[in-house]
Amino acid sequence: MSADRNGNHDMSQTDIAFLLADAADEVEIGAAPVQAVIRGGRRRRARRWAVASATALVVAGTTGALAVTGLPGGGHADRQANVANPPASPEARHVYEPQETELSRGMFKGKPWYVDMQVWGAPRNEDEAARQYDAMAARGIEPVDDKPAALIGKTSYFVTRKYGSQRPRQFLFDSRQKLERLSGRDLQFATNPLDDTSDPHGDRVAVGAVAKTAREVTCFWKDGTTTLVKRGPVVYEHNLPKPAIVPVAGYPTANWFVCVAPERTGAKTAEVTK
Amino acid sequence: MGDRKQARDEEFQSFMTGRWPRLMRTAFLLTGEQHAAEDLVQSTLEQVYVNWRRVGSADDPEAYVRRVMINAHARRHRRRLKEFLAPRDDSGLAHEVPDTGDRIAQADDRSALLKALAQLPARQREAVVLRYWEDLTETQAAEAMGCSVGTVKSNAAKGIAKLRAVEGLAETVTQGGRK
Repeated sequence: MSADRNGNHDMSQTDIAFLLADAADEVEIGAAPVQAVIRGGRRRRARRWAVASATALVVAGTTGALAVTGLPGGGHADRQANVANPPASPEARHVYEPQETELSRGMFKGKPWYVDMQVWGAPRNEDEAARQYDAMAARGIEPVDDKPAALIGKTSYFVTRKYGSQRPRQFLFDSRQKLERLSGRDLQFATNPLDDTSDPHGDRVAVGAVAKTAREVTCFWKDGTTTLVKRGPVVYEHNLPKPAIVPVAGYPTANWFVCVAPERTGAKTAEVTK
Repeated sequence: MGDRKQARDEEFQSFMTGRWPRLMRTAFLLTGEQHAAEDLVQSTLEQVYVNWRRVGSADDPEAYVRRVMINAHARRHRRRLKEFLAPRDDSGLAHEVPDTGDRIAQADDRSALLKALAQLPARQREAVVLRYWEDLTETQAAEAMGCSVGTVKSNAAKGIAKLRAVEGLAETVTQGGRK
C-alpha cells in the first residue's frame, strides 16, 4: 500500500458511487422468496384487519373526544382537559415496565411455546414517550407508530409468541388513546404460526379479544374440527393450561383468548358462542 | 373477483422478482449484513404486498418501496443499534485486518467501505446510499427518507466527508479502483 495516506487522495462522488456498487456486489442474491413474502403479507393484512376493526369500534364510541389527544386514563378527554391529573409516577402507570399476562402456553415438538401480552401505560410527555420507546426497543418490541412522540397519550399493547429459544415475536399490537371496549358477541382475532416455520396447513395459533361478558369462544379449524375456549378459572392438565378466556392486566375493557389448532390443520375462524 | 386477486398476485410476483436483486443490494449497503438485508427486503415487500392494489397502480411504485424500506431500516436501527453495525462472521465478508496480499486486498477494501458505511449514523448512511448507489435526486431521496431536501444534503455531505476520511478507500480509488 502506498505511504501517501494522509488525505492527499480525495474521492469524488463518482468514486463513492463506484465503491458502493462494488461493495453491493458482495451480497448473495438468492431466488426471490415470493411465496414467503405473500404469506407474510397476508398475515400482516389479517393483523391490520384486526386493528382496523378495533379502530372502527372506538371511533364509533368516542366521536369528539378523539380530537383531544394526550390524555390517558378513563373518561372523556374533554372533561379532563381542565382538571389536574393526579401525579401518578410513570412507574406507577407502567410507562417503562409493562404489565404482563400469560395468555397461554404449551408444548410443540418437545419445545415450549408461550403467548403473552404486555400492556404499557400511556406516556404523558415527550420524555416519557422517548424512555418508553427505548424500553420497548430493549425488549425487542416495535410499536405501531415509529416515532416516540406518537406514543404520547396512548396505551400500547403487544401480544407476543415465543417458541423454544427463539426471540418472542409480536403479532398483534396497537397503541390507542382509549382501549376498545368490546360488547355482545364482538370478537377480534389474528392468527400466527406456532413457530417461525410456515406451515402449509396454515396458521395454528388464533389469538383474540372478546367482551368481558363472553363466556365461550369456539375456534373453527380448517379440517372441520373445533376447540372450545371457556371463561373461568384456568384448568391445568400436566401443568399446561387448557384454552381459556382470561383477563389481562392493564386491559380492563376486554378479555383475551388463545386457541391452537391440532397438527396438520390451521385456523379458519373464531366466534363467541356463549 | 378471484381472478382479479390472482392477477394482482401475479403482478406483484413479477414486480418482486424483478426488483429483488436491486433491493437486496440496497439493503445490504444499509445493513452491512446478508441476513439483515434479506430480512429488511422481505419485510419491506410484505408491506408492499399488503398495499399492492394501491401501490401497483401508482405512477411510481419504486418510490413507495424505497420509502417503506428506509422507514423500516430507520426503525430497526433505532431498535437494535449495534446488532447490524459490524459485519459478522457469517456474513461472508472479509474482516478489516490489513494484509499485504493482493488476493485479499480487494476483499479488504470492500470490507473497509462496508465498515465505514456501517459506522455512519443511520440517516447519513441512508442519504449516501440513496444518493450515490440508488442515484436518486435530492428530492427523491428526501421523499424516501421523509425529510427535507436540506436534511438530505447535509446528511449526504457529512456521510461522504466521513467516507473520504477513510484512508484505504481514498487510496483504492486513486489507484484506479478495482476491476
